[in-house]
Amino acid sequence: MDQKLAKREKYSGQSLINSRKLLTLILLGVIFFSFNQIPLHEDLLNPSGMKALDMFFSGLFSIDVSRQFLGLVINATIITIAFAVCGLSLALILGVPLGILASGSLNSRSYARYLSIVVFRAALAVFRSIHELVWAWFFVAAFGLSPLSGILALGINYAGILGRITSELLQDLPDAPINNLYSNGASNGQILIYGRLPLIFPDLLSYIFYRLECAIRSAAILSFVGIAGIGMQIELALDDLLFGRVWTLLAVLALLILAVDLWSSMVRRHLAS
Amino acid sequence: MQQSTKTIQSETTWFRFTNLSVIAFVALTIFSWLFVSLAEYQGKGELALDGYGDRAVYFLNKLAGSDLDHTPAFLDISRWAETSVFALETLVMSIVAISLASLSTSMTLLLGSRNMVFGETALFTQPIFKVVFYIIRSIYIFTRAVPELIWAMLLVFVLTPGMLPGALALALHNFGVLGKLSSEMIEDLDVRPSRALRSSGAGVFQIVWYAIIPRLIPQFLTLIFYRWEVIIRTTVVVGFVSAGGLGREFRLFMSWLQYDEVLLILIWYLVLVLFVDGMCSLLRNLARA
Repeated sequence: MDQKLAKREKYSGQSLINSRKLLTLILLGVIFFSFNQIPLHEDLLNPSGMKALDMFFSGLFSIDVSRQFLGLVINATIITIAFAVCGLSLALILGVPLGILASGSLNSRSYARYLSIVVFRAALAVFRSIHELVWAWFFVAAFGLSPLSGILALGINYAGILGRITSELLQDLPDAPINNLYSNGASNGQILIYGRLPLIFPDLLSYIFYRLECAIRSAAILSFVGIAGIGMQIELALDDLLFGRVWTLLAVLALLILAVDLWSSMVRRHLAS
Repeated sequence: MQQSTKTIQSETTWFRFTNLSVIAFVALTIFSWLFVSLAEYQGKGELALDGYGDRAVYFLNKLAGSDLDHTPAFLDISRWAETSVFALETLVMSIVAISLASLSTSMTLLLGSRNMVFGETALFTQPIFKVVFYIIRSIYIFTRAVPELIWAMLLVFVLTPGMLPGALALALHNFGVLGKLSSEMIEDLDVRPSRALRSSGAGVFQIVWYAIIPRLIPQFLTLIFYRWEVIIRTTVVVGFVSAGGLGREFRLFMSWLQYDEVLLILIWYLVLVLFVDGMCSLLRNLARA
């Protein structure tokens, strides 16, 4: 018995070393191959690359804070925040119900439960695998250049993420409160409303606040499909070679993200304590 | 007794702050919808849905490759072979990006963690390290706040368009994200092992090597794999600003209105995402074993 155990321990020790070594080797090989693929022998810099770099950093000393431009920046910031919040709220409306369906907690029969889990999980996976900008391109091609395209794109991608989190939270719940409701004759819907949803609410809320920061960053680059947020202003300033303006916009974006980050981490700390 | 009043107090502050935040968020939501539908686009009826259905159906038909005079690209084996080059390029870009990001994060990580520089658990106590800490933290915040796409726009100005600026843009943003998340990991580590080592006379290097790194590595690896999954989704976006890979092809075919090719690129994209997700769970299992 003891011998067997010792043998197994020795064996598992060996396999541990082997799999770690294997992992390291695979990773190093893949990384080496990838770096090799980058064409470093060609001209790395643009013909005017050094000049552009110089202009970019000298823009740091001529940051544009004229009143007229700051008005533009504030407007762009409000647009960015508005689109982020619209997208996130749409994601909540779409994602939480889909997440509830994907957790299978509405069905008691095993095959219906299994079917609902598989179908809605797959839908959520497609929603979140496609980047919000790719969604935005598609919506612009399908619906035309309208604010709705941007909001839908953000909403669908984030619905995939929020839905996944909702379903995972619902599946990880402790059994006791649910069983208690069940044995008192509550239906699946009642268990959901009085048992499951209140239990996941704090965690879900803290995740939503965490996602707000990401949503603002995503909304900033949605300018690419015609929304006049911070990203579009950066693009315009770059096109006009006004690097002072680029620095102002980058600083505003960083401050905005920092502020939202502070807010969301405060909410999360209060929810956790 | 004291304990219970304390709990009640903390519960009431919990209640108040969280409620206020939720109310603020709801108010912000209402304001945003009003702003988007009224202030900016008033009178143009842009949020109305007239005629959108027809256009969407037309687009979906084009995407499925109906009424083309040749085989749709996604049914053509030779097109699959030709676009596989771009898929490989995208994969390579994502790997270079995550390696650069994790390498640079792991070099700055220790001095970017609050508990390594401040307080009783600090290993680096000289005042110069406090300055370094604030510099590293603000670099983390700045690189994280600027999205990958904007980094790529800036880098394409200086570097020749291609895979390198794309990979660098992804690496810069993810450097900030990894830095923030992993320095939080170090700050949350149990302090007892380091304290025990220190009280038995271990030096800074020994404490880092025996008390911090062994517990950090598994979490750090999990984080890196998770970010790789995110990066492969974003590599396409970076390609939009002529940084190579599937993204550039996607943008070109979108603007040439060759939607059957677009669908082919999209299928490649989903294949890559699935492949990386699978690889990550495999590697995670290998690392855990």
